Amino acid sequence: MEGGELLASRAFWLYLLAVGPLVGQAFLHAASLYAEASGRGGGPAALAQGLSPLDGMLVPTFGAYDLAVTLLYPFVAIRLISEEKRNGAGKLLLQSPASIPLRLAVKLLALAAFSLIAWAAGLLALLLWAGAGGHLQLPELANLLLGHLLRFLLATGVALAAAAVCDGAASAAIVTLSFTLGTWALDFLAAGRGGWLERIAGLTPTAGLRVFEHGELRLSVAFAFLAASAGAIAFAAVWLASWVPVARRAVRGAAVVAATAVAIAGASRLKPGWDFSEDRRNSFSRADEAALSRITEPVTVTVNLAPEDPRLFDLERGVLGKLRRVLADLTVRRAARSRSGLFESGGYGEVWYQVGGRRAMVRSTIEAVVLEEIYRLANVPPPAAGGDPAYPGYPLRAGFEGALWIFYAAWPAAAALAFLWIRGRWRKRWDESGNQAS
Amino acid sequence: MLGLIGPNGAGKTTLFECLAGELPADAGEVLWQGRPLAAGHRKETLFYLPDQITPWAGQPVGRVLSFFSRLFGADPSRLSALAGTLGLSRFLSENVGELSKGERRRVLLALGLSVPREILLFDEPFDGLDLRQAREVEGVLRRAAAQGRTLFLSIHQLTDAARVCDRLVLLSAGRVAGEGTLSELRNRAGLEAGGLEEVFLALT
Repeated sequence: MEGGELLASRAFWLYLLAVGPLVGQAFLHAASLYAEASGRGGGPAALAQGLSPLDGMLVPTFGAYDLAVTLLYPFVAIRLISEEKRNGAGKLLLQSPASIPLRLAVKLLALAAFSLIAWAAGLLALLLWAGAGGHLQLPELANLLLGHLLRFLLATGVALAAAAVCDGAASAAIVTLSFTLGTWALDFLAAGRGGWLERIAGLTPTAGLRVFEHGELRLSVAFAFLAASAGAIAFAAVWLASWVPVARRAVRGAAVVAATAVAIAGASRLKPGWDFSEDRRNSFSRADEAALSRITEPVTVTVNLAPEDPRLFDLERGVLGKLRRVLADLTVRRAARSRSGLFESGGYGEVWYQVGGRRAMVRSTIEAVVLEEIYRLANVPPPAAGGDPAYPGYPLRAGFEGALWIFYAAWPAAAALAFLWIRGRWRKRWDESGNQAS
Repeated sequence: MLGLIGPNGAGKTTLFECLAGELPADAGEVLWQGRPLAAGHRKETLFYLPDQITPWAGQPVGRVLSFFSRLFGADPSRLSALAGTLGLSRFLSENVGELSKGERRRVLLALGLSVPREILLFDEPFDGLDLRQAREVEGVLRRAAAQGRTLFLSIHQLTDAARVCDRLVLLSAGRVAGEGTLSELRNRAGLEAGGLEEVFLALT
């Protein structure tokens, strides 16, 4: 019935209707920029090595789903519970043999299954890209899709929890969007601050998805997504047990939130991660990784750079991010006390690397310079240069102007026709069975 | 058949929702065959059909009936017979939300009666039905009671209640003002004759 409810809801069809043009716009814009960078139209081409389909096409195209899942899809998910509350079906279902968790699981499955229809627009974009000779690398594509799947799970959990707590769909939508705005604010406020706040901000939906978009699969992020989604759904289950007094539900709900927070905090400490990007942007060369893995002593990096200093961003995105994935025992400390670093004195700009009891200061954020110092401190011979094949890059000058009609006309028309056809089919089916019964 | 009688705001629906375990009760317990029934387990024994609901408004009646029978493990042949008796066959393809009040009421009664539970709590089962339909539904309810099921009906129309129910509970401002057959209630009210209306006014 959940599937039927989705197909009967205008919210779902409007979501479908909007997703096609949204994804299409993202794809066409990205493909056009990619073609320009590849030298289409007689312009100068960028270096081939800089043309990555992950950055140039996949991330922007599927970014449309992030927008849709954040701002449109919650209304579809909320409706599954809010409508039951409004029309009384929830009171009947509460008395059915199906438990609340089972019913929520069915809703989740139905939402996932029917959302696959919305993903057809993304698939279409991939087919167009591949058909025009565009390069796709399966592991980085699968990793990106996994990130969006986890994002979808979390959005579903939050929407269901909001719908369970609130009496109406409008209130639930406000709660859901407030959650999203809250995570955006956290992401913005905590950026570069270091400490626990930045660690939490690194697990917000936007920041979490960014990791997958960068071609990396971090166990900490994936587990945090799963823990938050499961926590939100458990919270919804607690609140839907209407026979339990509100005060007791509030206590149980708080316990679920606390358990979820503990699980997320635990997840944030997980170190394993994998780099699925074809250009290995999140990794040192294989030779460097092998050399670094021989360092068994604890490594401490003390960074005296303020959060708004671009060198800190370079360092985090480059050397430190890669070191975290390779070194078994790495501690990064932030020594700067102000946000901008304008009025800091006494060693500002210094980055100290300590391996065992040996320390050295390096101001550079360049990978080769830092690694050379770490090898020296760790008494590990640096590997010979070269080895890994260079990323070739994948220019594509193809234009996709014809696809405009697919996303802007054919997709909405197909969605509208499917809506009318399904409604007509239902009526016909029950008309026939009614005739048979009478 | 037990009738729960009371004016609007007397607490009939609240009582039903507490009995069905959908709302927490401040005090008291529900006993079934001498044993307490915990709120979370009441759905195994009783089924409550609320008033003023339009469940699955966007779905055809036939689909709702079919889903409901599968969900509650109802006997499909019983549901089919009920649909025939209540005259639902004509609008199986109509969406629940598009039905008239009386048609919707009959769909809800079919759903409620199809659920294999020993006790059925129906909130205002005659609301929205015309006289003929009310008489037909009364017959259906009597047959269900004759099959050994207990029907607890909340009714605000006293004439309907007096005609349909074997025993009555009079509820006023959340308190039980009387309980028994109509003649027992008459005796208690000190009235030798008179209908349920007079008895109700005398006891509340």
